[in-house]
Amino acid sequence: MSDWPELPAALALSALTERLQAAQGWENKNRLLVQLAREQPAMPTELKVDENRVSGCEAHVWLLTRWHEGRLQMWADSDSRIVKGLLALVWAAYQGLSREEIANQDFGALLQELGLQRFLSSSRASGLNAMVQVIRNA
Amino acid sequence: MTTSPLDSLRAQFPLLQANPELVYLDNAATTQKPLAMLDAERRFYETMNANVHRGGHRLGHAATEAYEAARITVARFINAASAGEIVFTRGATEAINLVAYSWGGSTLKPGDEILLSTLEHHANIVPWQLIAQTAGAVIRAIPLLDDGQIDMAAYQALLSPRTRLVGISQMSNALGVCPPLAQIIPAAHAVGASVLVDGAQAIAHQEIDVQALGADFYVFSGHKVFGPTGIGVLWARADILEQMPPWQGGGEMIERVSFAGTTFAPAPRRFEAGTPAFAQTIALAAALDWLRGQDRPAIAVHESALYRQLAAGIDQINGVRILGTPTGKGPIASLVFSHAHPYDVAQFLDERDIAVRVGNHCAGPLMQSLGLNNGTLRISIAAYNTAAQIDLLLSTLNETLELLA
Repeated sequence: MSDWPELPAALALSALTERLQAAQGWENKNRLLVQLAREQPAMPTELKVDENRVSGCEAHVWLLTRWHEGRLQMWADSDSRIVKGLLALVWAAYQGLSREEIANQDFGALLQELGLQRFLSSSRASGLNAMVQVIRNA
Repeated sequence: MTTSPLDSLRAQFPLLQANPELVYLDNAATTQKPLAMLDAERRFYETMNANVHRGGHRLGHAATEAYEAARITVARFINAASAGEIVFTRGATEAINLVAYSWGGSTLKPGDEILLSTLEHHANIVPWQLIAQTAGAVIRAIPLLDDGQIDMAAYQALLSPRTRLVGISQMSNALGVCPPLAQIIPAAHAVGASVLVDGAQAIAHQEIDVQALGADFYVFSGHKVFGPTGIGVLWARADILEQMPPWQGGGEMIERVSFAGTTFAPAPRRFEAGTPAFAQTIALAAALDWLRGQDRPAIAVHESALYRQLAAGIDQINGVRILGTPTGKGPIASLVFSHAHPYDVAQFLDERDIAVRVGNHCAGPLMQSLGLNNGTLRISIAAYNTAAQIDLLLSTLNETLELLA
């Protein structure tokens, strides 16, 4: 179970929230998302296969989930930096949660709180809703 | 104070006036709307709204007359031989579906071949696949050269007495490439095949003369030529249209109905079942009248100058190139990046209110043939775009690619 990356401290939900709230305006938020993409480990090419792909995203998104002692572990990657930056948020929001906690996690509200609601309406491109569905069904 | 022709053109678009900072470069998806069109639709509803071809009353007559006058306007706009060759549809997509089901359904036999270029929009592929499946006909793809132009030698080799139809775009929505229709159409006719030209992208940029073009079917959508959504046009040569059976049943497309049988109205009404989008039809005619009233040669010069400015600027930026031939194309540029995802670039452009399109542009086979997994970022120019907007696009693109490097 050690082959999947741990969530780095700088990407923990509290740290992420602070960083995203400090980034004022779309330009800074987009720049930060690109930065967040750089801080996440890349998924090896052999895992970037169709069966791990989330459909419904214009950019390619690969999402792996598994359960360890009743807690969700996930690993995701995208060829779009902005989408990968958003994936950091998905990771932070869901990593280590129980099934019950996942059911109660309101990802839309979190995006709203962080000023990223635009990515909810452009869900076809970023596929955030599709990713959250995959996690809920994990 | 003098106003430039471009300023006075822009002044006729309320959305552009309300958003002076907006750099709208997604015109291949839909164009903005001039006041003349908006006023016409509003005026119709305010002064003569009634269903067409129906009520025996004053408004009904006025509405019917305006609707039929719109047909004449469209016929003149594309130089059709008569208004009877104009069928109103919901758009270019529905027009192609109409031809596939009605003409294709009544003429295609097992083993017949339909040639479609690899440039085609899904709308000029999928209706043919559906009817080919039913009829037992075969679809063959006309390949492209490396620069996105039609491989004419391969096209010639594909043509045979089995070819029943050639479906070809006048201007590719994804690359802007304009296939050489003056060679493609006669070659198809020489083997007895019919030709459908998808004019959806060309209609806003070129003057169209369907008689000179010599094709059998021509389709376009209203909303891509400054008109409203929900209205499009099928032009078909009268002798072909007369032979085509109805494809949808309903009101106004019949001569007489009894449960023993129904006789159908002559073309084009035979193909317009149900209440048509009459207000939009009249507004489309107003948009076309408006465009005819502009200096179209000057607009074409302006658009191609903007395209050259764009292409020259892209040349100076590292990590980006324009797909396809640099010449003989419309004002559409599809960009691919060496180190950035088109979606990310579009997000940064959107911050500066620069509107572009990313994705596969409903041209999956084209993207596959070019080996593109992430699609492209498409910039599509219209008459109201300015040189300053292209400069802003180029500088923002430069900054964005540095940031994403």
